[in-house]
Amino acid sequence: MVQINEPCTVRVKFKKVGRLKFVSHLDLVRTVMKVIVRAGLPLRFSEGFNPKPKLSFAAPLSTGVESVCEYMDIKLYKRVPEDEVVAMLNKNLTDELCALLAYYPESKFTELGFIDYRIELDLLSATEALCLDIEKALTSPLVIVKKGKGGEREVDISPMIRNVSCKLEGGKILLECCLSSSPAEFLSPELMIKALKDKLGILKEENLTEEGYTVMRTEAYFADMRPFR
Amino acid sequence: MTNIKHIDSVLKSVEKPGRYIGGEFGAVIKDKESVACRFAFLFPDTYEIGMSNLGVRILYDVLNREQDIWCERAYAPWVDMKEKMERYGIPLYALESGDPVSEFDLVGFSLQYEMCYTTALSMMKLAGIPIYSRDRGEEVPIIIAGGPCVYNPEPVADFFDLINIGEGEEVLLEISRLYIQMKKDGSYTRSAFLRRAADIEGVYIPSLYEVSYNADGTIRAFTPREAGVPAKIKKRIVADLDKAPYPEGLVMPYIQTVHDRVVLEVYRGCIRGCRFCQAGMVYRPIREKSPETLCRQAKCLYESSGYDEISLISLSISDYSRLRELTDGLLEWTDDERVSLSLPSLRLDSFSEELMQRISSVRQGGLTFAPEAGTQRLRDVINKNVTEDDLVRAVDIAFRGGKNSVKLYFMNGLPTETLLDIEGIAATAKRVVDCYFALPKPERPKGGVSVTVSVSCFIPKPFTPFQWEAQDSLASLRMKQQHLKEAITDRRVRYTYHDAEVSVIEAILARGDRRIAPAIALAVERGANLDAWDEFFDYDRWMSAFRDTGVDTDFYTTRGFGTDEILPWDMIDIGVTKSFLLRERERAYAEKTTPSCQESCSGCGANKLGGKNRWCK
Ligand code: SF4
Repeated sequence: MVQINEPCTVRVKFKKVGRLKFVSHLDLVRTVMKVIVRAGLPLRFSEGFNPKPKLSFAAPLSTGVESVCEYMDIKLYKRVPEDEVVAMLNKNLTDELCALLAYYPESKFTELGFIDYRIELDLLSATEALCLDIEKALTSPLVIVKKGKGGEREVDISPMIRNVSCKLEGGKILLECCLSSSPAEFLSPELMIKALKDKLGILKEENLTEEGYTVMRTEAYFADMRPFR
Repeated sequence: MTNIKHIDSVLKSVEKPGRYIGGEFGAVIKDKESVACRFAFLFPDTYEIGMSNLGVRILYDVLNREQDIWCERAYAPWVDMKEKMERYGIPLYALESGDPVSEFDLVGFSLQYEMCYTTALSMMKLAGIPIYSRDRGEEVPIIIAGGPCVYNPEPVADFFDLINIGEGEEVLLEISRLYIQMKKDGSYTRSAFLRRAADIEGVYIPSLYEVSYNADGTIRAFTPREAGVPAKIKKRIVADLDKAPYPEGLVMPYIQTVHDRVVLEVYRGCIRGCRFCQAGMVYRPIREKSPETLCRQAKCLYESSGYDEISLISLSISDYSRLRELTDGLLEWTDDERVSLSLPSLRLDSFSEELMQRISSVRQGGLTFAPEAGTQRLRDVINKNVTEDDLVRAVDIAFRGGKNSVKLYFMNGLPTETLLDIEGIAATAKRVVDCYFALPKPERPKGGVSVTVSVSCFIPKPFTPFQWEAQDSLASLRMKQQHLKEAITDRRVRYTYHDAEVSVIEAILARGDRRIAPAIALAVERGANLDAWDEFFDYDRWMSAFRDTGVDTDFYTTRGFGTDEILPWDMIDIGVTKSFLLRERERAYAEKTTPSCQESCSGCGANKLGGKNRWCK
């Protein structure tokens, strides 16, 4: 148990959905800093000439992706009851970006192992057959070209993909999967979709306004698949 | 934003999509079915610039305080987004509701600088609104303009149905109320509404006036088309700034904007009367807010925004009569909360050690001063009442305080200017460098000294004592720029200057009459947009647009206007009288300065507008 009035870290689980998926990570960080000030949380600042609030995020979300399971840690100089943290933050946030839960954590962000994604593909050719093709593509070796320091190299991303399910729903393809998200092995859904694009020829540039997709993070896990906390 | 999938794919493919999504904390959402008037506030520049604009912040708040009015915002899309919107048929939409701007009742543009005119027209096109007022049908929103540019509304008069002359806080509400009332009682038609709006003080309805011209191209007459329409349009002011509404919260952008900070307007107007400065004349009479009001507004805005900087703005902050009380009141809490105070401008003669200590932007940033001219003679001509001694004193304090970079603003092309004045700029900069070396070595700030000289081109603006002046020709401006380049020999002095071509176009747009409207429209047709951005400004496109519409540009620039001529903006009454401007012009030629309003009233005429103020009788 952390003592009252002792520096501590509170973890906030939050969501970022709807239009706000277009807010970049960098902008999110700046926004949250201001929100914390507005909320009046007893924030600890970094030392130095230009003190900044101490804030960290788990597995930053890429622009364009929604999530209902984001986590951030805020360093406070005294303990505030969990539900009060949520209330204070949400008074300064909107429905599309708001706190869901706050708690004093025992884990570190580096212990994050996997993240569930729900991907909706709105394609001109949404058929059962394509669903099967997608499932097959994601469960057999799927090679992408990664540009790194030592030039380009090929990587098989399929070991980083689990629990693939792909089905037709209301004319759209609903793809659910769980992607490796540990600091050492992080697979972004955008990268996976790009691999699918290249392999299956879907989501062509010329169909920009007819085809589209949405990505939502739905759940985060430890490496042993216990729900992340 | 009618087709969500549509817009999503587009947003994924453009730079900084955060500018086009709305959804900010503090954005006002209402039920569109239950409001009586939907107002779209359009800012003809990017989101980053528009979100920082104080006028927009104030008027958004004023309108949304009314239960039955919903004011939303839209900004100019960047070129990549504009191109996609055109390609995929996405109309300009308001950020709050995502509804097309063309569905609104009233659409107001804020015209902050002349170079935004083409952007405003591009936005109308993107919204599917005809750019000429005369082509708009009953179902099209009423298109309004306001802001500092419209003191000479004539170049854009044909594009707007209604122009708000002066401060908008009260006028926009009265316009909206009239609209609501006429819609309710069934008397609304476009023309009936505009006719009745003309009776509101501070409203100019261009279509209700006829302009005729003499054979030499000057204006013969400006006449109302109907009886009862006022022949002169009087500028509107807010009488008591302490009682005027001021936003208590802000719309908080997610993306970085040009000024992410609380902006506190300390007073309106200016006591100085620099003869080139339009703002100094059109914002008269001077009206101050009390330190109590300001401290309350600052605290409130800080708490609701979380910004860590409060900027005190006004034309010349050190002229605020109760500055000491104000900074005392703010410093009581700002330091503890890690909030810094900043000032956008400082007059040379008021720079002091005390200010440097109290205002962090003065403490930390580089120093900028605006002597405006290189010799005392020319500074007297323009009534910039600062001396070289003031400069020396100020930079001495700055250097002793540990600063080693100074930026100096000047103008070239000023009336009566000679090459001696240009050389004076180089000499002034050199003098600053010498001040640095005059300090004993241990007292000099480390890293050497750097002086930046930034020179813009003078534009004879309407409603200034120089409004009749001829603008220097492009060739002459360039020659002077080159001359100064050669006169600056000290390598510690860095020299930057504005593009003279831009100031030629700016002068035409600032000084023009209704006959240049077709050229503006043609420039837009040929792709002019975001002209305030250097990378999109195209001088040749402008000049060919003028040529192809039969506009003689010299008529508005190098010709100069006769003092007996009817000027395009003469029907606007800003309070300050033409006879005062003429008097000031004569004093300029006599190289005589005029005291500030604080020292004595020069009878400019602005006092007749009333208002709770400090200096006017
Ligand atoms: S009326 Fe006198 S005091 Fe008032 S603004 Fe004009 S010159 Fe200044």
